[in-house]
Amino acid sequence: MPDSTTAQLRELATRIRLDALDMVSIQGFGYLGQALSAAEQFAVLFGDVLRHGRDRFVLSPGHYAVAFYAAAAEVGLLDRGALAAYGTDGALLEAISTERTPGLDLTCGSLGQGLSGAIGLALGDRLAGEDRRTYAFLSDGELEEGQVWEAAMFAAHHALGGLTVLLDANGSQVDGPITTVTTIEPVADKWRAFSWHVQEVDGHDIDALRDACAAAAAEPRPSMIIARTDIRGRLQSVPSTADGHFLKLDADLERALRIELQEIAEALGAS
Amino acid sequence: MHRDPPYETALKPFGRALVEVARGRPDIVCLGADLTRQTETDLFRETIPARFFNAGMAEANAIGIAGGLARAGHTVFFATFGVFATRRCLDQIAMAVAYPALNVKVVGFMPGLSSPGGPSHQAIEDVALMRALPNMTVIDVADATETLQAVPAIADHPGPVYLRLKRGEIPIIFDDDHDFSLARAQVLVAPGDAVLIASGMMVAAALAAARTLRRHGAEVGVLNVPVLKPLDTATILEACAAAGTVITAENHSVIGGLGSAVAEALAGSGASPRLVRLGIQDRFAEPGSRAYLFSRYGLSVRRIVEEAWRALGRTDPPPVSDELDAADGTYAPV
Repeated sequence: MPDSTTAQLRELATRIRLDALDMVSIQGFGYLGQALSAAEQFAVLFGDVLRHGRDRFVLSPGHYAVAFYAAAAEVGLLDRGALAAYGTDGALLEAISTERTPGLDLTCGSLGQGLSGAIGLALGDRLAGEDRRTYAFLSDGELEEGQVWEAAMFAAHHALGGLTVLLDANGSQVDGPITTVTTIEPVADKWRAFSWHVQEVDGHDIDALRDACAAAAAEPRPSMIIARTDIRGRLQSVPSTADGHFLKLDADLERALRIELQEIAEALGAS
Repeated sequence: MHRDPPYETALKPFGRALVEVARGRPDIVCLGADLTRQTETDLFRETIPARFFNAGMAEANAIGIAGGLARAGHTVFFATFGVFATRRCLDQIAMAVAYPALNVKVVGFMPGLSSPGGPSHQAIEDVALMRALPNMTVIDVADATETLQAVPAIADHPGPVYLRLKRGEIPIIFDDDHDFSLARAQVLVAPGDAVLIASGMMVAAALAAARTLRRHGAEVGVLNVPVLKPLDTATILEACAAAGTVITAENHSVIGGLGSAVAEALAGSGASPRLVRLGIQDRFAEPGSRAYLFSRYGLSVRRIVEEAWRALGRTDPPPVSDELDAADGTYAPV
């Protein structure tokens, strides 16, 4: 969907959240916050930026697989029927993506490893003279892993301009707000200090994400797009006390979320 | 055929073999981690600079990059010291290389107590760690001839490999007609009353021990097991059945390496020969010369002779092994 409008991508983001809600509802708990947080980034990547069949997509935190499944199904890269078995024993679409997961160039469940793999892909494509870009999706909690910074140094040293990272900076990790665990800020300054091209945007703003991806593609340096997001997707229904990383979805919360997301979808459709 | 010690030595057989195979294989990429000359890959860097990348002291990242390069269609050789190549980045090797079964060859230099650098530099459990990973082929070669043959063999072998290599002057134990195989262990001396099963740097010691023992009437054979996984169980069991007394010798912890692999094979088959596992006895060592450490930690020819003598039920004093003073540029087992 290279000619998608902003409105279409907003609708896509809402459908990604609704699909994710459906998938997580199967078991009543799971990685829904990841999709609420990153829906716009997946909408922009899969609905606009990625040249399917050419560009590489690395999903570093496999816990975001639900967002990928939703986006891939919405744009026709994945059979929608598979979503119905999400996370169940023996299903194609696992709660944490694996080597079996279709449609990904690389995914990791052990955090902090995706950027190194993305560098390998980008370097390999450059060696082979192939016209591909590599997009790596990372989450901010992963920045606590030292390997990310080893990778950051390598990518800058080798001027891997074909590499763009989208960082879902929702400020949240398993044990709570990142600021209460191990502060990673100032994130933008850190990546600048590592000689990356750095942009910091509202991660729920479709236009800002698109513009940032376009600017990144024109850069000779590797590019970091810090997408500032809310793990509750700025939805009113999710209580601020909820564990966004592994959301417990009781019937009331599921109903409230579905109504709120459907209202958003209708409002977007009407506009 | 194998030669007699002291052995002539060769320099940089791995580095030479890698350049040789990479010249005709544009898919081969070499990664390093700030130990380029020490891992003989300076030859690659000088000869094929466009395909050499130095990740610096960042092994976890190097493994991840190796996996990405392999996914993009390249065959990757990543060389550093064995300690850093394995235990420092075990999760990365497991997830980025072994699980996806990618074409990445991890090459670990300075096996076991061949490093004077103490526990930080002595890879005493690298074989155990790599054996435990599904999809991983694990190789511990004995000499320069095997190294020269192993490099093209693993380049052609699809999938992940751990290759364990001595650093520096590499003995030439085998003649050119030696046939290194990823599938087969080799009987070097036919088993008699006992068989010594050895890999890597302990093959030379096992050959020397067997020579001393045979000279004193103990019919002892030698089996060379360069490929620890997949293990050539058939050849091992056959040799053990012929012998009845089995002694494994490895420059590695006795937990998880050759001795464990042989014990597993024997137990699984129901065979129960007398089994002695020589190697590092579940302890960290210390800095020191090869002669000092190999003697002190039970990796010497003398120790093999003594243990074999005892295992064979001999109560008279064990024979004294040959003194093998190696002149400069030659190699003899401790």
